[in-house]
Amino acid sequence: MQFWAYAARRAWHTAITLVLLLVFMYVLFRLVPGDPTTILLGTGELTLEAQARLRELWGLDRPQWQQFLTYAGNLLTGDLGMSFYFRRPVVEIVAPMLGNTLVLMIPVVVLAILLGVAAGTWLGWRRGERIEEIGAVLALIPRALPVFWIGIVLLALFAYELRWFPIGGMRQAFFYPETWYQALPFFDVARHLVLPVATGVLASMADPLMIQRTALIEVRHEDFMILARARGLTERAQRRLARRNAILPVLTYSAIMVGFAFGGQVLLEVVFTWPGMGRLMVSSVSQRDYPVAQATFFLMAAVVIGLNLLVDLAYGWLDPRIRLD
Amino acid sequence: MTEIALPAPSRSRSLRRAALLPFTSWSGGFAALVLLCVVLVALLAPWLSPYDPLVNNFNPAGQLRRLEPPSSAHWLGTTYYGLDVLAQLIHGTRIVLIVGFTCAVLIALIGTNVGLIAGYYGGRIETVLMRATDLAFGIPFIPFAVVLVALLGPSLWNAIIAISLLMWRSTARVIRSQVLSLRERGFVRAARIAGASDLRILYVHIFPNVLPMALLYVAFDIAWAVLAEASIAFLGFGDPHQTSWGQMLYLAYVSGSIRQAWWWTVPPGAALSLFVIAVFLVGREYERLANPRLR
Repeated sequence: MQFWAYAARRAWHTAITLVLLLVFMYVLFRLVPGDPTTILLGTGELTLEAQARLRELWGLDRPQWQQFLTYAGNLLTGDLGMSFYFRRPVVEIVAPMLGNTLVLMIPVVVLAILLGVAAGTWLGWRRGERIEEIGAVLALIPRALPVFWIGIVLLALFAYELRWFPIGGMRQAFFYPETWYQALPFFDVARHLVLPVATGVLASMADPLMIQRTALIEVRHEDFMILARARGLTERAQRRLARRNAILPVLTYSAIMVGFAFGGQVLLEVVFTWPGMGRLMVSSVSQRDYPVAQATFFLMAAVVIGLNLLVDLAYGWLDPRIRLD
Repeated sequence: MTEIALPAPSRSRSLRRAALLPFTSWSGGFAALVLLCVVLVALLAPWLSPYDPLVNNFNPAGQLRRLEPPSSAHWLGTTYYGLDVLAQLIHGTRIVLIVGFTCAVLIALIGTNVGLIAGYYGGRIETVLMRATDLAFGIPFIPFAVVLVALLGPSLWNAIIAISLLMWRSTARVIRSQVLSLRERGFVRAARIAGASDLRILYVHIFPNVLPMALLYVAFDIAWAVLAEASIAFLGFGDPHQTSWGQMLYLAYVSGSIRQAWWWTVPPGAALSLFVIAVFLVGREYERLANPRLR
């Protein structure tokens, strides 16, 4: 019962955060000079009387709080409006892009965590050795490199110079397989994925690595580890035991990492011209297509806020002490 | 190392020790030297720079020096627009310093005050401030910066505002938790009994105690802020009239020059990385001082 009280409180906090987000976005997107009718006015297709009528029709003459309620209601029910640029409902434009974004993001996050845990365990196990000191400094380096620069360097090397991989995009327009493996269903997409995934993994594996290393160093001196050594477990078996017991902080961090991943995702998609939500967001902002920009922004923020709620709930489920705070 | 635990030395000596601390390890010393170089180059940019970074260069025949590889006239070659890469690189250090310093000050101001006020007053004020912090954590950073800078117009100051408006979040959380434990300590109670006002307790008694932690967090934020500004510039929302390292990479990318012009793409990226690594390494030395468990 106590868990449900905790869950309800967390859900309530999340709901408040979501409302704050809506208010924040409402204000943010009204920083633009003029209103939606101004854009039409600029094209010369609209007289001032027609503009006034349009304002009335679209409810732009109503008080701000009424406008906000309509706005929030529409967003929450999935009515994201019409794109100025594509002249189609925003949902139709954003939905396929969200899918493409996930195709790139999921392998990045999964691989970054797996490799980060492996490398972190390896480093933490060698605590105090010279190689661990050097490794810890080296691990800082990919974290300090700008994501887009890693992308540029990999592109110049492996796409332009060596021609091993395509220079960007998600699929080749007319791809004719020459051998049996090239005819496999996802071969073309996979080939396009290699460089962006490698870039994303390099840039984001440092955090799980450092967290796993710290956790492993702490676990190493627990009683059960001393017992394991006394029982005569092999070095490998000991390390496996330590790794398993040190992995919880990385798991909880992984949800936060998905939140950060959206930021890096925008840069990745732009460098590798990946047809995802991040690239759509940048282009829609440049084209002043505010309904689309707003929808992409709202979706990303909502996913991050939702994931934070999930992490909190998982915390409360796993560790009963947290429910009391 | 044990000396630190001894009774506090005079203020000038402890200041000198703090300034020299990074030099106690090879990585920290190297990093401190890098930062020193960046500051010097930024200050001396007009004298060090061989050319004006925004003026196109022409060869004797009157043609634009487009994408020329490094030569004795242009040590790091030229860009697609005939600009000198070295001059741009040198002038880029100024943006790094402006962004790093301004963001650090703004983040420290917002984050420390939110944390202090929320932790000290508690109750409804705390709830409101902490919900605002949750919101700041819920907003994905780069998308926010892109939207804000695009709406306000691309300029360096708008980028700085966008960065600072979100990055105060982690400082605020850490400072709040510190204040929560500090406000129950004896010296705070003593001050309250002596009749000190809330403001005096907050800023005279509590603030100096959270200052080291705040400075540490802000130091790491300098690195993130510089990377964030470069990212915004790379996405094409940088100030078109200024030369920043992110802007250089953006122009190299959009002009389609990354396939051959390594002399244009490698220096700004390497310089950015070096700066960020240096900040991390120096920060790490001070972190060890603040948190002895890491030693």
